[in-house]
Amino acid sequence: MDMALPVVNATAAVLARVSAAFNAPLARAVVFGVHIDGHLVVEGLLIAVIVFQLTRKSYKPPKKPLSEKEIDELCDEWEPEPLCPPIKEGARIDTPMLESAAGPHTIVDGKEVVNFASANYLGLIGNEKIIDSCVGSLEKYGVGSCGPRGFYGTIDVHLDCEAKIANFLGTPDSILYSYGISTIFSVIPAFCKKGDIIVADEGVHWAVQNGLHLSRSTVVYFKHNDMASLASTLEKLTRGNKRAEKIRRYIVVESIYQNSGQIAPLDEIVKLKEKYRFRVILEESHSFGVLGKSGRGLAEHYGVPIEKIDIITAGMGNALATDGGFCTGSVRVVDHQRLSSSGYVFSASLPPYLASAAVSAVNYLEENPSVLASLRSNIALLHQELSDTPGLEISSHVLSPIVFLKLKKSTGSPATDLDLLETIAERVLKEDSVFIVTSKKSNLDRCKLPIGIRLFVSAGHTESDISTLSSSLKRVSASVLSDYF
Amino acid sequence: MGRRGEPYYVEAAPPVDVNKNTEWFMYPGVWTTYILLLFFAWLLVLSVSGCSPGSAWTVVNLAHFAITYHFFHWKKGTPFAADDQGIYSRLTWWEQMDNGQQLTRNRKFLTVVPVVLYLIASHLTDYKQPMFFLNTVAVFVLVVAKLPNMHKVRIFGINADI
Repeated sequence: MDMALPVVNATAAVLARVSAAFNAPLARAVVFGVHIDGHLVVEGLLIAVIVFQLTRKSYKPPKKPLSEKEIDELCDEWEPEPLCPPIKEGARIDTPMLESAAGPHTIVDGKEVVNFASANYLGLIGNEKIIDSCVGSLEKYGVGSCGPRGFYGTIDVHLDCEAKIANFLGTPDSILYSYGISTIFSVIPAFCKKGDIIVADEGVHWAVQNGLHLSRSTVVYFKHNDMASLASTLEKLTRGNKRAEKIRRYIVVESIYQNSGQIAPLDEIVKLKEKYRFRVILEESHSFGVLGKSGRGLAEHYGVPIEKIDIITAGMGNALATDGGFCTGSVRVVDHQRLSSSGYVFSASLPPYLASAAVSAVNYLEENPSVLASLRSNIALLHQELSDTPGLEISSHVLSPIVFLKLKKSTGSPATDLDLLETIAERVLKEDSVFIVTSKKSNLDRCKLPIGIRLFVSAGHTESDISTLSSSLKRVSASVLSDYF
Repeated sequence: MGRRGEPYYVEAAPPVDVNKNTEWFMYPGVWTTYILLLFFAWLLVLSVSGCSPGSAWTVVNLAHFAITYHFFHWKKGTPFAADDQGIYSRLTWWEQMDNGQQLTRNRKFLTVVPVVLYLIASHLTDYKQPMFFLNTVAVFVLVVAKLPNMHKVRIFGINADI
């Protein structure tokens, strides 16, 4: 208490002085009979500074290089981020390894298993004719083509393959790519540029999403395989929008969606495209060689003339059992890609033996259309047998060779769903020697469709393979999903 | 010397400003538009609030201070970072202007405007106390921020990058 009072007094005195100074009128001086107020001093100073700056010349500040000491300091305090982030808990990286060709029967970990994990739809893996053509081509051309198509990498088998595919599909021309998924993500940026509008299905797979991202166009997604949603999106984008008439508009769909097994209704899409004047880019990787009376794809399946679809792309790694991809359309579509498509211009061309394998595969398909009938009967049989699997339901189209099984009742989180499905797949492999896989999504994939077990049916599967699979699946899912019915 | 006494060199046009964030300030009518904007803002404040002209100028001066300080000297980078790859992400608008060249005509104009506003506002309010102090602070901060010696300077690390 003794010390408090003087402190309080001192503070009060200081405060009084400050407020007096603040409230006091500014200095008054009289110079040569002119009243000088304080503000004149401030203004005079300001004007002096401004006039000084105004009279200086403009210059560019010099770029000083860093001194040795600064460089050392920067290096010392730099902490490198890891090149790839550490793997989180629960991400499985120990997938089963195949030790033989990925045909309907294959060897995994030394055991022979029935293979439902390879998209070998026509059963052409291990086909004698194709292997013979490959061997002949290897002996003639060697393995690689050693150059992009524009720089001495074009070999006559490439041109034969392009002509063959164009002939098969009934289009004027086609163009070959050297890597299956790079087809779609090179084609989309070759045609769609910044400022264009793309209406895409929300269930397209990662390669298509990559292409949409690379194109820098405005992308609008519609509900998966929902034509009403597509119609309303197209209507919203074009109604009353005078500017939309002048920019390029595209619809990007897949024929058979890899992430769900649904088939796109091409007849309705073409009707909508003609009504609203959009162009259609159709990704046919899983339907080429599968749908249609003679395997010519979705257009034949729906009876739509092939000229109505502007751009068709497909990877040849599925039904044709080779690698690479192709794109067809009108002559102008194909010609444009020869100079403007990144995957075509800047990658080495398809190895010649793969091109001749593709030619033999298409020849085989033309000569043996019965292979499609056996594929279809296998799919129908699988649907029939798996219709009463406990806990799992088939959510793919009845004609799709990708049979998609998803959980009847999801656990709520994709991670636990994935765990359950992976457990089922592991047990089916270990106990019954049937190799199945769950749908795999990378971290970059923004598709929100539910994951499930994907079964790839092949024409090379026998009825006993299919019954082995169905009985095994029913048994294992009954035990694993017993809490989730 | 060449034909007809013409020298051998040619005059080149000054390089066009590629920074979409600042190139709009090179257009011919920008200075006039800026001045007219301030004038109409003063009229608006005057008509809406019905205060004295000096207070209206003070309001305009302070609003001008807040807006130009935020947009010219605080916000860094451009809204077009997707196109120019973020090369200006450490520079404020003032530092990006005229490609970093100091004391150009645009910069001199923008330095004079707050001072003129200050002179008008403080004259019309008769240098009365709370407004005079606020106006002085405003002009002081703005003029110091626009000095060429302050190019890329961050005092006490305020608004510096990570």
